[in-house]
Amino acid sequence: MMQIYRVALREYLENVKTKGFWIGILIFPGMLWMLIEIPQFLEEKGIPTRHVVIVDRSEDLGQIARQRITLLNRRKALTALQTHISKATAKQREEMMEKQEIDTGQLLDQLEQGLEQLSRSDVEINPFSPNQLVKLGDLIPETMLLDDTQWQQFKKLALSQLPEDAPPFEEPEPRFREVPLLAGIAIDDSNENIEEQLKPYLRGDQRYPNGDDEIDLFAMVIIPENALDQDQDLRFWSSNLADTDLLDTILKALSEEAREREYSRRGISSEVVAEVASIRVRSANYDPNKGAGDEKVGIRDKIRQYAPIGFVYMLWIAIFSISQMLLNNTIEEKSNRIIEVLLSSLTTNQLLMGKVFGVAAVGITMQIAWIGSLIGILNLKAGPSATWIADLIAAVITPELLLGFVFYFIAGYFFYAFLFAGIGSICNTIKEAQNFMSPLMLLMMVPLATMTFIPSEPNGTIATTLSWIPPWTPFVMMNRMAASPPQSEVYGTALVLLVSVGLVFLASAKIFRMGVLRTGQPPKLLELFGWLKSGKP
Amino acid sequence: MSHPIELHNVTKTYGDFRAVDDVSFTVPAGTVCGFLGPNGAGKTTCIRMMLDILRPTSGSVSILGTPRALDVRARIGYLPEEKGLYKKMTAASIIAYFAMLKGVPSAKAKKTARELLERYGLGSFQDHKCEALSKGMGQKVQVLASIAHDPDLVILDEPFSGLDPVNQGVMEEVIRDIRARGKTVIFSTHVMSHAERICERIVVISAGRLVFDGTIEDARALLPRRVRVRGAGVEDALSRLPDVAQALPSSDGREGVIELRLHEGANPQEMLKIAFEQGVALEVFEVVDPNLHEVFVHLVGDEAREAALR
Repeated sequence: MMQIYRVALREYLENVKTKGFWIGILIFPGMLWMLIEIPQFLEEKGIPTRHVVIVDRSEDLGQIARQRITLLNRRKALTALQTHISKATAKQREEMMEKQEIDTGQLLDQLEQGLEQLSRSDVEINPFSPNQLVKLGDLIPETMLLDDTQWQQFKKLALSQLPEDAPPFEEPEPRFREVPLLAGIAIDDSNENIEEQLKPYLRGDQRYPNGDDEIDLFAMVIIPENALDQDQDLRFWSSNLADTDLLDTILKALSEEAREREYSRRGISSEVVAEVASIRVRSANYDPNKGAGDEKVGIRDKIRQYAPIGFVYMLWIAIFSISQMLLNNTIEEKSNRIIEVLLSSLTTNQLLMGKVFGVAAVGITMQIAWIGSLIGILNLKAGPSATWIADLIAAVITPELLLGFVFYFIAGYFFYAFLFAGIGSICNTIKEAQNFMSPLMLLMMVPLATMTFIPSEPNGTIATTLSWIPPWTPFVMMNRMAASPPQSEVYGTALVLLVSVGLVFLASAKIFRMGVLRTGQPPKLLELFGWLKSGKP
Repeated sequence: MSHPIELHNVTKTYGDFRAVDDVSFTVPAGTVCGFLGPNGAGKTTCIRMMLDILRPTSGSVSILGTPRALDVRARIGYLPEEKGLYKKMTAASIIAYFAMLKGVPSAKAKKTARELLERYGLGSFQDHKCEALSKGMGQKVQVLASIAHDPDLVILDEPFSGLDPVNQGVMEEVIRDIRARGKTVIFSTHVMSHAERICERIVVISAGRLVFDGTIEDARALLPRRVRVRGAGVEDALSRLPDVAQALPSSDGREGVIELRLHEGANPQEMLKIAFEQGVALEVFEVVDPNLHEVFVHLVGDEAREAALR
């Protein structure tokens, strides 16, 4: 036992000291952080103000388009204002939170009620997308945003509420800004003529003169005289095909206007249309597996249904990365010939077990660090005293789910670890190992491919069949946990999995014993079966 | 009382190939034994069987009184032929780790590791990673790792290979120190001068078979002594005597010196007497014992040459 412990301890300490380990530990919170920060950063800083020329041949459509562009710009400013206020008042809010005891259960109930109310209005709600939740901007009337004076007053009022030591608010540059048509070109010139003259600017060959300044011209829009009559296209010129916000905004504004006019032409009130369009058929979902009187399916149940996917993904990454670690250092020991000294001090089984346990500890450390950093980052984003995250996790993750995760992590890890160590023992270089790895990789891809499909059909034929195949049991069963699979299957597949872990251990130990001292070409797959049968290389 | 190493009719075959063929020998306690043989003679296979890393096809091995070396692994130190260290571990920690695997408590293992590194001139490298050490240093570290648990029996496979003359000297010193503490050492080599300097006994195998087992003196006695002479008329006077088997130019290359190979049992003093009686003016008269190198070539030369040509 002592020997296994010492090998495991060395394996653990040496792996923990490597750069790869720390990169592995840091990459997850790093990516999470970027996932949260980058879109926000890009929204604030990334996209420069785009300059656009609008050639308006219509009576009033240009005005409608311009209003929408202003609205877009103001919404951006409003979001910045909101962020500014939230940062400036973070301390106050924190103090308030500390004073109040917040019950997460109650919070979830409130959220659920709120969502239900919203679902009765004409706002489309997807509870899993935080972007869809109501923003401050949606609550402020458009007329106020469009009017310069009202907007300035609103801004002043909002900022006056902030603590005195709050930093000044800098309104961001607008998203789009209209620039006048080039001097010398008449607005009633032909489309071809105007377009021909603006092309060098639109291509970026020349900078567009704007007063005393020169700017990059992003786009030109030509609104035809009777765009609403469907027989003339709006002409949009731009060499940037990816940023479609401007075109989308204008088209949406003009389409709405077209519909509005069509309604009144046919004598239909647009209010009536809006009212009719807001009609939604609602559902109440019930789950027969839940206790009597508590069968209604709530947001918690829905999140719970999808939580296993997160676990499966973590399981997969962990097993994949740490099995690789095991493979690499078995090959290192073998190619360095350290293995021979080790084998004069240990039995092959002790060495194999020590390595597998040591590397498992590395994997567990990594998982704990990941989960810790996930909670840490969420806490940081939500303020340090917001204990609701821990409560939310506690509400969603049931003991059965955690128990399942621990069991399938251990069983799945040992299954693959013994396989990888066995392969490592017969190869002298990573290159040689790759030949054996390809089929294993394919094997490991299956659970990843079925990961999102299984929650939607958790007790279907495919899920059930896959559950009984040992290399996939940990992933598939973990994925099915939330759907309460039949007890007989839970215990049956667990038994098959454990027996196969035992078999893989025996086979690997045998190959390991024969493989570690072998030099030269690794054996062919058929030879390996020969080894297993005869017990001799 | 059994000997630390006993091999009885040990044979190891791989398919049709007999790597070790009916080898028997013993190494008494407290001796340094050289395990000699040309490349591919089966030395490493024998050593692996002693350590129970390989099992013999037939015959039996007894190490420190037991057939299973792992049962007494704490009393055995082993340096394999192909040397390697964990690149990322420091010299001190790797020595301590191997000692701990042999059952030495952690604190004592660390202390011993530092002491050993100091004693053999690597004190300032104890916290260097192994990848930063030179080949010779790395090899010294590995030897120290194999003896840090103060084993009763030390098995070294080619401990001198890859070392410069200075470090070869240090290695000889290490082996003498182990013997001075009353321990048993067996080491394999094909460089005879080391064996000649530090061994009491040698075991020679060739093509898997035992060809010699005994003391250095026994080995030297396998070849007759030689007399090197120079002087006018000395060849005529001595080369035709019945005690002389062969007269050749001296193997040390000195000009005019003749080497007389004597028959077994011949007395060199008789040669001197006859030379005086015949009035030969002797400039050189030396009695030379055969060295181990010559004994080795005599024992395995043909087979080694054949093996090399195959």
